Amino acid sequence: MRRNYTGCAICDSTWGDVWAEVEGERLFFCCGICVTQFRHLVDRIKASTGWPTVDAIEISGDRRGRRCVAAHGADRFGCFVAFNADGDVREFRPEAPPSVSR
Amino acid sequence: MTKCPACLERFGPDGQRALAEHLATRAGASDSDHVRWLNQNVGRRRTDAAGILRALVPVFSVGPGGLAGWIRGRFVSKFFGAVPHPFVAALQRPARPVLLGYVVEHQHFLRQWVRSCAHITAATDDPDVIRYELDNLVTEFGGSGPDRPSHYELLLRMGEGLGLPRDRVLATPPLPATRRAIDGWEAIARNEPWVETMAAMHSLELIAHRDLVRDGATLHYFDPAILDDGTLASAARAFLREGYDADVGHSEEALALIARHATDAAAREDLQSTFLRSIDLFDDYLIARLQRANDYAA
Ligand SMILES: [Zn+2]
Ligand SMILES: [Zn+2]
Repeated sequence: MRRNYTGCAICDSTWGDVWAEVEGERLFFCCGICVTQFRHLVDRIKASTGWPTVDAIEISGDRRGRRCVAAHGADRFGCFVAFNADGDVREFRPEAPPSVSR
Repeated sequence: MTKCPACLERFGPDGQRALAEHLATRAGASDSDHVRWLNQNVGRRRTDAAGILRALVPVFSVGPGGLAGWIRGRFVSKFFGAVPHPFVAALQRPARPVLLGYVVEHQHFLRQWVRSCAHITAATDDPDVIRYELDNLVTEFGGSGPDRPSHYELLLRMGEGLGLPRDRVLATPPLPATRRAIDGWEAIARNEPWVETMAAMHSLELIAHRDLVRDGATLHYFDPAILDDGTLASAARAFLREGYDADVGHSEEALALIARHATDAAAREDLQSTFLRSIDLFDDYLIARLQRANDYAA
């Protein structure tokens, strides 16, 4: 899965040391809550799009809310996501992805 | 900075280096409270204990506004910053589910509130603090006769005004995040000095403070126009107005009492850590109100 973050898959932090498998790939996370968040995010994207897999995910924003652009082949999907303290999804809104890659 | 701001473990006077090592170790073990604290207060890039130690200095540095000014500044940047807290954003012009989420979770907060105030009252020897807390207990929970219902009563009436009977409210247990926050505040009340409990709890009243703009706040707890424009049910208006009309000096008075009792540097640093822990708990608790609001969304 292509990602814009080099640190934790959801918040880009390089603290912590959790490795978890998501979509068949071992990814780095700063803590268990971020693992939960990322798995929920991928599930929501797949449920919204019907894609069998997510090839790429680009995230911006912070803990107050994150904008994501996901890709599967040539298809793209944009969304806003926010989580509660346990890492469950509190808000999920599909959004038009930006037409030009940032 | 001799008490951990993420878990309140103590390191004694001059324990700064031990605290920095503790933060590095706990973050290395991926503990979410410590990682979160470092992410939000030190930065998202890992450093070693020496780097953490350097980064702690500006976090705890008290400026010309003194301890009260430091508390207000940290509070404003966390809840009223460039991206305000989502609950504050939702409360600007609140929909019914947001107010019901507020009612259901806040009953638990207010019951912990009186326990915390009682702990302070039991532990302090300062008559001004005792008077202050007694006044709090009456305003928040006791009420002063039929004309001056308590904040707790006004909260339950707001629920009723929005169609949620009070027996249903009272029978609803807190969400896990609310439970954790309440347990955290109870632990502070039981284990930390009363002046730190006072800082942990009464700093939270800044959320409804009308005069934080001078500390950099870009918005209020809610848009004051909703008190007069007829968009709110009358019981909701009464609840929000009570907080809004509360003497602006009330939370200032608490901060002044705290500053009076936390005079030496070690006591002040411990208090700062307890305050930082409390606003992290509060952050999660406010999110829990929105999580509960989802139960009432159409
Ligand atoms: Zn993370
Ligand atoms: Zn700790």
